[in-house]
Amino acid sequence: MITAEATTSRKPSVAANATLPVRAVNLGKSLDERPILQGITFDIAQGEFVALLGANGAGKSTLLKTLSTLITPSSGTLELFGHSPRHHAAKIRARLGLIGHQLMLYGDLTAHENLVFFGRLFGVKNPAERARSLLVTLGLEKRADDAVKTFSRGMAQRVSIARALMPDPELLLADEPFAGLDAPSTDMLERVLAELHAAGKTIILANHDIRQSLRLAGRAIVLRKGRKVIDDAASTLDVETVLHQMSGGA
Amino acid sequence: MTGTLSQIFTLTAKDLRIEGRTRQSLALVLVLGVLVISVLGLGLGSQPAIATMGTPAILWVAYLFSGVLCFEKTMAIERHDGALAGLLLAPIDRGVIFASKLISNLILMLGVATVITFVGILFFNFDLSPAPGGFVLIIVISMIGFAAVGTLFAAMVSSTRLQGGMLAMVLFPIILPLVIASTQQMTAMFRDGVAPGGAGLAILGAFDAVFVVVSWLVFELVLEP
Amino acid sequence: MKSRALWTIYWLVVAATFAGAIVLVFNYTPNESTMGLIQKVFYFHLPIAICTFLCCFCNFVGSIGYLINRKRKWDDFAAAGAAVSVLLCTGVLLTGMLWARGAWGVWWTWSPRLTFSFMLWLLYVVYVLVRASIESSQKRAIVGAVYGLVAFLDVPLVYLSARLLPDIHPASIGLAPSMKLTLGLCFIPIVLATIGLVYANFRVNVARRQLAEANEQLNLQTETAAGGAL
Repeated sequence: MITAEATTSRKPSVAANATLPVRAVNLGKSLDERPILQGITFDIAQGEFVALLGANGAGKSTLLKTLSTLITPSSGTLELFGHSPRHHAAKIRARLGLIGHQLMLYGDLTAHENLVFFGRLFGVKNPAERARSLLVTLGLEKRADDAVKTFSRGMAQRVSIARALMPDPELLLADEPFAGLDAPSTDMLERVLAELHAAGKTIILANHDIRQSLRLAGRAIVLRKGRKVIDDAASTLDVETVLHQMSGGA
Repeated sequence: MTGTLSQIFTLTAKDLRIEGRTRQSLALVLVLGVLVISVLGLGLGSQPAIATMGTPAILWVAYLFSGVLCFEKTMAIERHDGALAGLLLAPIDRGVIFASKLISNLILMLGVATVITFVGILFFNFDLSPAPGGFVLIIVISMIGFAAVGTLFAAMVSSTRLQGGMLAMVLFPIILPLVIASTQQMTAMFRDGVAPGGAGLAILGAFDAVFVVVSWLVFELVLEP
Repeated sequence: MKSRALWTIYWLVVAATFAGAIVLVFNYTPNESTMGLIQKVFYFHLPIAICTFLCCFCNFVGSIGYLINRKRKWDDFAAAGAAVSVLLCTGVLLTGMLWARGAWGVWWTWSPRLTFSFMLWLLYVVYVLVRASIESSQKRAIVGAVYGLVAFLDVPLVYLSARLLPDIHPASIGLAPSMKLTLGLCFIPIVLATIGLVYANFRVNVARRQLAEANEQLNLQTETAAGGAL
């Protein structure tokens, strides 16, 4: 049978309600009459590392874009850090970062210029210094003054990660950031995510690699056709179960 | 307020820096403008008197086509690699994005218009001396309105992935009042020796006022990551 | 069934009043001295022009409505207004050109009135064409709304700038009482036809959209069912 509900649900802790990074209730999104997300409900607490899994077209990208405030939901309510994106978008945006398929960078500017530019927009103090230190952390200091369009995919993605991290966001949303990355960049990204997690940041990672996701994350949410079908601790899940649920389970 | 102004400055500086780096877009836009003038010049070559009196209109045709290309290109920079999404994720007002794009487009178009105008004056023996200040005034005012609607529509068209040519199609009918009013003012200044003013100038001013404000208000609705 | 009967009656009334108007125009009103028969075009030209403007206003209302609350019905209404305004504006242009032929011997001149009609026609033809080129219905709606808003705000400026053009003939037309009466009565069939066309167009747009929505739901159910069977 088709499961429309989550097999188990995490209950939000009452005391932390007001400052939950993410609270979604019955979130829905339709595009051109076609429902992409339906009835998505979950809470994400500070410091959680959540993997978002699902087949192509399941709605992972749309959900992340909605959480990042790039897209407004068609129905349901969304609260980020206790605020509604409709009314307090600026406050919310200063506290989150998004990495996606696209780099969200200007190819003609250098890595350093890109970071300083976005840093300024996010109100970062001393953006030039912060940019330098991030580039060093990500192993890009030698190419800091080269145009991003000359970078390989892996290096450009690292600059994109640095862009997202410039304002030191409390919530990091990553939409399949490992896609098309070489092995050294993949390792580096895994390390970065682990460090952020250890530092108490909240991370939501949409990913195709189920094994990798269950290894990195503490909790997994699986989507199928825009609905949530699994919402459980990663330790209780295995690849077969997830695959099963992703494709339709019986 | 200063925060908003500095954000606009950051964004505009970024646009102009990228333009300065690549210079490829600017060259294409300039060449298109000069080509349009050349085609018209060659076509009208056997009728020099008509060409001279028709110079403002000829210049407008060149401004329009190069303007459309310019607005398309400044918007394309944002679409490439999804940089626009990066802007939309920042805690800045969408109106700030509009203001900065408008200013960038205006600066670029005024530069392009200057070159095109010099070429036009040369090819058609147009004498600017009766009213050089008036000419500049009319062109600048017209460019503001043109850039305002152009910026809005360029964002709109680029988010729909329509083919090229669409921007020209949506833009030209809207800016016809600018063309009519400014060529009327030019005729008044250069043929009749009258200073700029009256209904024509009022129309240009009204166009600018209405469409800068409306485009600014509506801009965020056409921005799609 | 009842609505079909109502529609038939409605259009019969329109046809009847139109026939009546034609009778009035050709039999009741005198022929104007300088222009002769072609002057009679004016009795239709003015009502059609007014109705064109009303349709443009409908498009404006629909565009603003959609921008404010994003309900698709506003977009359906805006599209209907624009479509009918293009139709009517074509009529304005044709009758205007007939008039120009009769009054000044040319089919076209850049007089304020003709130029204004033409620019208005361009504005809304572009609206219809651009909408038709966009596949995504959501993008179609927002592009339509933004363009519709800008276009309508442009209309007064288009009108004023057209007035800057040299006018061949002064605008005033002296009308005998019988002519004024006929003119007033000619409004009836044209206004009725306009309202009918806009409403019919609106209903078609709504129905088409609802069909698309139903199709998507069906698609989704079919896909989900197929997935479960695995």
